[in-house]
Amino acid sequence: MNRPPPDTAPVLIIGAGPAGLAAAHELVRQDVHPVVLEKGDKAGGIARTEVYRGYRFDIGGHRFFTKNDAVMKLWQTVLDQGFITVHRISRIYYDGRFLDYPLNFFNALTRMGATESLFILLSYLRSQIRPYPEEETFEQWVSNRFGRRLYGKFFAPYTAKLWGMPCDRIPADWARQRIKGLSLMAALSHALFGNQKAKSLIHEFHYPEKGPGMMWEAFCEKIAEKGGHVRFDTKVMGLNHTNRRITGVKCMEGDRTFEMPVEHLISSMPLDKLIAMLDHHRVVPAGVSKAANSMSHRGLILVVLILDKDALFPDQWIYIHGPGFKVGRIQNFKNWSPAMVPDPHRTSLGMEYFCNEGDRLSSMSDEALSAVAASELARLGLAEKNQVIDTFVVRQPDAYPVYTSGYEKRLKVIGDFLDGFENLQTIGRNGMHRYNNMDHSMQTGILAARNVLGADHDLWAVNEEAEYLEEDASVSPRRTLTEKMILQSFAGMDKSALGIALGTVSGLLFFVATLWLVIKGGEVVGPNLQLLSQYFFGYTVSVKGAFIAFFYGFLWGFLFGWFFAYLRNLLVALHLFRVRKKAERLSLRDFVDHI
Amino acid sequence: MKKIVEPVTHETDEITGYVLRLNVKILGLVLALLFGSAIFVATNWLIIKGGEPVGPHLQLLSQYFPGYRVTFGGSLIGFIYGAALGGFAGGLLGWIYNGIVMLKRGEKNSA
Ligand SMILES: Cc1cc2nc3c(=O)[nH]c(=O)nc-3n(C[C@H](O)[C@H](O)[C@H](O)COP(=O)(O)OP(=O)(O)OC[C@H]3O[C@@H](n4cnc5c(N)ncnc54)[C@H](O)[C@@H]3O)c2cc1C
Repeated sequence: MNRPPPDTAPVLIIGAGPAGLAAAHELVRQDVHPVVLEKGDKAGGIARTEVYRGYRFDIGGHRFFTKNDAVMKLWQTVLDQGFITVHRISRIYYDGRFLDYPLNFFNALTRMGATESLFILLSYLRSQIRPYPEEETFEQWVSNRFGRRLYGKFFAPYTAKLWGMPCDRIPADWARQRIKGLSLMAALSHALFGNQKAKSLIHEFHYPEKGPGMMWEAFCEKIAEKGGHVRFDTKVMGLNHTNRRITGVKCMEGDRTFEMPVEHLISSMPLDKLIAMLDHHRVVPAGVSKAANSMSHRGLILVVLILDKDALFPDQWIYIHGPGFKVGRIQNFKNWSPAMVPDPHRTSLGMEYFCNEGDRLSSMSDEALSAVAASELARLGLAEKNQVIDTFVVRQPDAYPVYTSGYEKRLKVIGDFLDGFENLQTIGRNGMHRYNNMDHSMQTGILAARNVLGADHDLWAVNEEAEYLEEDASVSPRRTLTEKMILQSFAGMDKSALGIALGTVSGLLFFVATLWLVIKGGEVVGPNLQLLSQYFFGYTVSVKGAFIAFFYGFLWGFLFGWFFAYLRNLLVALHLFRVRKKAERLSLRDFVDHI
Repeated sequence: MKKIVEPVTHETDEITGYVLRLNVKILGLVLALLFGSAIFVATNWLIIKGGEPVGPHLQLLSQYFPGYRVTFGGSLIGFIYGAALGGFAGGLLGWIYNGIVMLKRGEKNSA
């Protein structure tokens, strides 16, 4: 286990966060021995567990939840003991009240009072009748679904607090990507086949008994057991490359700098910093550098308050809406797992503050931040100031990749440039500048490892396609089949095509029926069929009449077919509308989780 | 290495943008069963009702379906004729419909 780390490896991985560790784990499974370079002193990246005087805490609470069975299986295999299931309890603090969360629509309305509820309902109706014609911004997207009042009162302040900018600067695409259950296909398959998994994901989650760090330590052990290495306190400082191939990685370990040659490089460090490292000979085109420089991140400051009180509130976390408070979320770590605190008579809270580099909050000293946190906690009525016996501050830069308008184009410019490097892949949350959770970050790592081994996965499809990495080969075809069935059942019918088809068939039937009697002949030809002239003016059982019959048959057939398709499409559209609205209403329950 | 592509973030309205195709075989089969059983049931209904003569109007079908009579045996023959006609009509209907849809969308293969 304590072998000295090698100075060469077939694959180098930057970052021992969930993505990098997942990549390394996948490689050692296939007998390839990578080296993971991690600048920090512990594994887990943003999902690590810090420890202060025996109190364990995450950088914001990290729920282990995923729709992907393969990732869940991986977590359960790597951490075969101490991976507990937690029943979720959380609330939202809004306008002086604590509302149950995930939201219960009627509970929320009653708590908000009759007048406010009425305004919200009226504004919802208005948004359904007269929505914004364009959905370019987050504000327009949310208002069109939930009404402007609810948006303004409820979502705008929290979103602006988290992202540090007004919601009319956040592109609507971001909401579309985050809130996938609202796509028509997802809504329909939920409506048709139920979605027990999604429901249980809202109400319970998994968690390592001693915090997420326990999971990443287990990963490191597995990697080391099978010949891989994780080098902590090793910061990647630069990259050498020739002919669009990364040839060496410059590292700093303590005071020592050294270079490691590289065959394949997988990077989970922030994209903008990676581009800067590639630019040491000014080879990066100006457009790419500009795009990278405008990729921004939102930081997180976690102020840990240790209180001399055994129980404060039952929730694992509380969202704090409303501009009157700087704190965005409050974590109560012992409610995630009792093992997170060393002393059951005390409680540790994590007050989450979102910030930008250099802004007022991030420039505040730890003491000042602790004072703000303690006073906000008291103002919320959750504890007394004098119950706070100790504090600790963690600053996490690059916690959230920010999506501003045009980010997609910028990402494409960067992606196209990096694509030119044949032995480089970027993975994870900041590595791809994607608002990925742990599961999607890990999926990109696993797929990148498989690409090294010869596969050809598109890492950018992860998070777009919900179940991209299903180990069970039957799952993907099953999903495609479901989607095909849905498409086939709900797709619109071509009205004129059905009209023409039915018209032609019925015209031909009348044509042949008439002609047949004419050919058969007889004393009086087709006296009974002749009765058709009651409806088909000018019709006789004759050759000419056969053509007239074809014309009438076609006409009626066409009208019937067209109208049938029209009615069917209308009914399907009404059904789809209902399904979509229901999905929107349901998504309101846990909307804030996705912001 | 895999190409880094522009993320697809637009809400593709996969469903509303898709045009229904008819399954020619199934449509043919359904109409075959429908037509065949319609004649079978109609014939036997008249037989059960009885009277003198039995089903003179339905008997006219024999103009098109040689050998058909309003008897139980005739109902079986009628079933076969009806099924053949229904199958043909359904198949033709589906084939024309799909052909038009593809033509409109500029696709090549037939269903
Ligand atoms: C407040 C908050 C709450 C969250 N809650 C959840 C949750 O409940 N559930 C969930 O699934 N996800 C959650 N996430 C998301 C989760 O943290 C990320 O998806 C995950 O950590 C991303 O993993 P990663 O490996 O891509 O990146 P990171 O975790 O960022 O890891 C990257 C690693 O690279 C290292 N590194 C960077 N530069 C260098 C360098 N130059 N040299 C060497 N090493 C370097 C870093 O030190 C870091 O360890 C949350 C995130 C935040 C901010």
